Amino acid sequence: MTAASVTTRASASRRWFRLPRPRIAGSSGVLPSLLGIPVVLWQAVFFAAPLIFLVVVTFWQVKSFRLEPAFVVDNWTRILFSATFQRALVHTFLVAGTTTVLAVAIAFPAAYTIAFRLGARARDLAVAFLVVPVFSSYMLRIYAWQIVLSPEGITNALLGGIGIGPLPLLGGAFSLQVGLLTLTLPIAVLILVFAMAGIDRTLIEAAENLGCRRARVIAHVIIPSLRPAIALTATTSFLLAFGDYISPLFMTGSKPPTLSILIVDTVKSGSQWPRASVIGVSMLVMLALVLSLGQYLSRGRTGRKEAAR
Amino acid sequence: MNRSLATRLSRLAQYGFLGLLFAFIATPMLVIVVFSFDANRFPTIPWGGFSLEWHRAILDDPMIRDAFLNSIKVGFGTAVLSTALGFAAAYIDFRYRFRLKLPFVLLVAVPPAVPATILGMAMLAFLSRIGLFGRLETVMACHVAIATSFSMAIIRLRLNDLSRDLEPAAWNLGASPAAALVHVVLPFCKPALIASFFLSAAVSFDEFLIAWFVGGVHETLPVRILNLLQGQVNPKINAIGAVVLVVSIALVLIAQRFTGVRAGRRPSPDPGE
Repeated sequence: MTAASVTTRASASRRWFRLPRPRIAGSSGVLPSLLGIPVVLWQAVFFAAPLIFLVVVTFWQVKSFRLEPAFVVDNWTRILFSATFQRALVHTFLVAGTTTVLAVAIAFPAAYTIAFRLGARARDLAVAFLVVPVFSSYMLRIYAWQIVLSPEGITNALLGGIGIGPLPLLGGAFSLQVGLLTLTLPIAVLILVFAMAGIDRTLIEAAENLGCRRARVIAHVIIPSLRPAIALTATTSFLLAFGDYISPLFMTGSKPPTLSILIVDTVKSGSQWPRASVIGVSMLVMLALVLSLGQYLSRGRTGRKEAAR
Repeated sequence: MNRSLATRLSRLAQYGFLGLLFAFIATPMLVIVVFSFDANRFPTIPWGGFSLEWHRAILDDPMIRDAFLNSIKVGFGTAVLSTALGFAAAYIDFRYRFRLKLPFVLLVAVPPAVPATILGMAMLAFLSRIGLFGRLETVMACHVAIATSFSMAIIRLRLNDLSRDLEPAAWNLGASPAAALVHVVLPFCKPALIASFFLSAAVSFDEFLIAWFVGGVHETLPVRILNLLQGQVNPKINAIGAVVLVVSIALVLIAQRFTGVRAGRRPSPDPGE
């Protein structure tokens, strides 16, 4: 530590941002290494290595319930060409796509009201209220929806009181979307609220001064400047819904299975690790594609506009 | 007149919509808490009357007690470690420039974006091969890998407000970089460190898939709940749920109290915001 302090003290009078390299190179690198190496090691062992190993395992074999190193593509062909996987893939995409559309459609007007209609205090409260569910007890809230929606549950008890027969609320596309929106809506609204709060108000005032009605302001000022935030909201919602395990498990009883359900089932039945890994890696690849599509959509239009000018 | 009526109706619709959304988000949490005090075995309407029976029952259940203790241990360890690592990562991102900076930041930031099913399976496959499967410390280590992302984000946000000249000033006055870090940067980051501590604890306290995969016989509380949920209807679930809910909401609220992140803090001194 002292060696580092002596050398850097000499260069301290120079402004650090003019000279990024000497700070990191040479003996003054002791402090950043001391700070950085534990972080890198930790994330490497407990995050990167497992994911890399996941890719490796897809080429291994299971012989008499034991995982053995090998190099076979059999796992890939078996999974990718299996009807179960393909059905689950289409189902998961449709479900996550529906959630994405619903989440953005519901979150946008809500975020608009919070960002533009509420006073500062109420807005802070609304944000605080939305942050809580992002970090707490998702599984419990899904269980609560089970209580609310089940055949003998609260909703049907209330509906029965006014003479409407028990509705099959639980176990279908409706309950699945309720579950996935429970997961995605709070964060979707938050992203949009923060983005709207960052919009340049003078732009809106200018549009209003030029005689724009509110609808035109929204369509021509607010939505274009929110494009990246909307793309982020959509990709975040998709990512959460696509990988979720709890809602499909408890809201539809895993029927039809989503890819996450398929992974857990494949691991459980006969410890088919390589095949489960194939599903996992395929999901990651698809998520990466969806994320890059989101990136493209958030940038594409402005790039095109600038090119036109 | 007509215009103002339309505006008023539109406002009313907006507030009504927001109210519905908030009801949608609040309903499940309220249901858990309300029915944990229900005397009925099966949670439905009409309410079976007020009872603390199930709260008492969870106190007498040794598996739930153990799971709760495990969750506290894992949560505390995660909070300490991910705050330390998150601070280191945020400071490096704030202070230094180097070629592999983007991969470095991504390595810390990305883990929460990977679906927990896949990450849990990958961690189980890899960590069991290096002999770390089925330990409470492993659950904690994996939670740290995820929670550090949030810690880094909170602390990095705070560092944005630290004047770029403050540290060079300390160096000029003869402080070593390490001394400046300890006496200038750390105190400045204190609220963010506290927020990061509680938020990481909440992240760990809430996580169940990874804990389920790598924990083996060591169940944390959410894993216990998951196993209870997959069994028969158990009225204890609501009672544990209410406890978990209160703990995690408290953790998040404390964390929020110290972040100072607000939507549209418009009257801020710098016009760039």
